Amino acid sequence: MLIWVCALHCEAKPVIDYYRLKKSHDDNAFDLYLGDDMACIISGIGKVACAAACAWIAARQAQQPSLAWINLGVAGAAEHSTGSLFSVTQVIDTDTGQRFYPAPFGASKIAGSACETLSAPSDDYREDRLFDMEASGFMYSCLRFSSAELVQSLKVISDNRHEKTGNNRPQVSLLIQQQISAIDAQAQTLLQLNEEVAALVPASAEWQRLTAMARFTQTQKNRLRVLWRYLLNRNFDAEQLLQQHAGQTADGIIESLQQLSYQDSESL
Amino acid sequence: MSAANLVYVETEVRRHPRTERLLRRMHQRDVVEIEHYGEVFNPRSQNFRLQKKNPAIIIARKNKGQVLEAPPGYGLGGDHNYYFSHMLNCMYDCRYCFLQGMYQSAHQVLFVNYEDFAAQIQQIAAQHAGEPVWFYSGYDCDSLANEPMTGFSEYFIPVVAAIDNAWMELRTKSTQVRAMLKMEPLQRIVTAFSFSDGVSHARLEHGVPSIAKRIDAMQRLLQAGWPVGLRFDPVVYHPNYRTEFTALLEQIFSVVDADAIHSASLGSFRLTRNHFRDAARLYPDEPLFAQRMTLENGIVSYPRELEREMIEFCEAQLLQHMPRHSYHPCAWHD
Repeated sequence: MLIWVCALHCEAKPVIDYYRLKKSHDDNAFDLYLGDDMACIISGIGKVACAAACAWIAARQAQQPSLAWINLGVAGAAEHSTGSLFSVTQVIDTDTGQRFYPAPFGASKIAGSACETLSAPSDDYREDRLFDMEASGFMYSCLRFSSAELVQSLKVISDNRHEKTGNNRPQVSLLIQQQISAIDAQAQTLLQLNEEVAALVPASAEWQRLTAMARFTQTQKNRLRVLWRYLLNRNFDAEQLLQQHAGQTADGIIESLQQLSYQDSESL
Repeated sequence: MSAANLVYVETEVRRHPRTERLLRRMHQRDVVEIEHYGEVFNPRSQNFRLQKKNPAIIIARKNKGQVLEAPPGYGLGGDHNYYFSHMLNCMYDCRYCFLQGMYQSAHQVLFVNYEDFAAQIQQIAAQHAGEPVWFYSGYDCDSLANEPMTGFSEYFIPVVAAIDNAWMELRTKSTQVRAMLKMEPLQRIVTAFSFSDGVSHARLEHGVPSIAKRIDAMQRLLQAGWPVGLRFDPVVYHPNYRTEFTALLEQIFSVVDADAIHSASLGSFRLTRNHFRDAARLYPDEPLFAQRMTLENGIVSYPRELEREMIEFCEAQLLQHMPRHSYHPCAWHD
C-alpha cells in the first residue's frame, strides 16, 4: 500500500485524478481517497497536522504487511523556477534542528534537495534549499511505521523570489499535474519496493491459523515465525502445510517444520 | 534520484583534499552535507536489504579509535594484533558476512582522515618497539575493493613500510591490485585473498569477482614479489563441499606456487548470536540461515561434529598442497 500525504486538496488533486482514487465516506478525521494499492490523505497545513494524519492512517492500515509513503506538495525556493520538481534528500525542522534523511531509491532523474520545514510561512529564502511546512512532521511520523527507503518527499516549487503561486490553488494543482509522469514513475518504483518488503512477511490470516493450531509459548512462537517465514518464502504451500500439521502438538509442529527447513536448506 | 546518486559529506571534511578528490570522481552525484555520519548511518528505521542494492557513499572523519586491538584468536599467531577500517561496509554482498547484521545501514562510510590512522599505527608500533606488530585491514570493509576511489593502499603501504616492526594484512575479495603493482614489493605487507568453494561463491557471494579473476590478481601480486595469503573462512556446508573444496584448491594451485604463499587459514561458518539473528531477519528466505546450527557461548555455528568433520577434511586437503607452518587455523572455540 502506497500512501500519499498532501497538506491541501489542491496538492492532492492531480494524484486523485491520475489514479482515479475514490473518496472514502467512512472517515471524518481526515479527507481520505482510496484506490486498489494506494490511498491519499489530506492532512491540512503544518507539521503537526501532517504527523497526525500519517499516524491516523498508519493505524487504520495496520493490517498491511508494509506501507510506503510519499509526501507530495509545493515548496518555496530562492531561485528554482516554479513548477520544478525535487526529491527531498534532507529534511531540517527549523524549530528543533532535528534532521531526517529519506533514502531515495530507483533510477528516476528527479533532482535532490534539502528542505527546511518552517512553522509559519516565510519569504526569507536561502540559496541552497527548499522551504515547506509539513516534511519534518511527515518524516517524524512515517519513520515509526516504515523504513527510510519507503518514505519519500516530493516537492514542486510554487514560490520563489520572483514569483508566488502558492496561494493560487488551481495553479498549485496545475504545477503538480505538469510533473505527474515523473511523480508516477517514482510512485511505481516505491510500490515495487514495497511489494518486495511485503512479500517477505507471511500473510497474517495463515499465521493466525498456524498459531491457533496448538498452545505455543512465546519462545516457540519466535522459532515458529522463523521457520514459517523461511518455508513460505521458499514457495512451500501454506494451505498444505497447515493441513499436514493439523492436530499435532506445538513441539511436533516445530520439529516437523524444522526438518522441512533443514532438508530444503542443505544444498544452499 | 537514487541513493546511489547521493554522497553525504560531513561539513568538517567538506574541504579535505581527499574529499575533494572523491567528489571529483563522483561528480555526477548530489552532495548532501551532514554534521556527523551517524545521522544517516545509525537511525534504526532503515532497511539494510533494500539499501544494499543501491548504497550511497558517506564521507566522514573517524574521530577516535582509529586502530583497535584485535579480538583474541584473530590473526596469524603474532603477539600484538590490531585492526583498523578506513571504511564501514563493503561493496560486496556475501550472505555469510557479519557486516549484514553489524550496522543499521548498508551505505558505505569512507573515512578520509588517513593521517590520524597513520599516527595511531606509528604510536602503537612504537609501544611494541623491537617486536612485530600486525595491523589488520579489512575487518569492517574489503581492503582493496574501492581502491581506485580511496587510494587506500597507495597511502597506507608507505606508512607501514616506514615502520620497521609493523606488518599489515590487507584482506580482500577484489582484484584491485593495480596500485600495488606500481609499488616496490614489501615483505611486511600480506595481501590475503578470501575464497569460498564454487557452490558457496555462486550462491552466497553476490557481486564478488569470479574465483579465476581473483586467482589471477593473486598471481600477479606474487609475480611482482608481494607476499600473498589464502583465507578459506568461512567454509560453508553443502552436500558437495568436499568435492568443491578440493576443486577450489586444485584451481588455485594450478596457477599459484603453493610454496610462495605466505600463510593460509581456514574456519567454518559462524556468527555471533545477534549477528546471526539480524542477518536471518533481513534474509528470511536465505537457506544458509535455515541450516542446522547450534548456539554455543553466544556463537551460532554448525554442530560440533559436522564442524570438526568439515575442518579436518579441508585442512587435510590444504596440507596436501601447503606446508603446515604456513597454516593458521581459526581457533574461535578457545
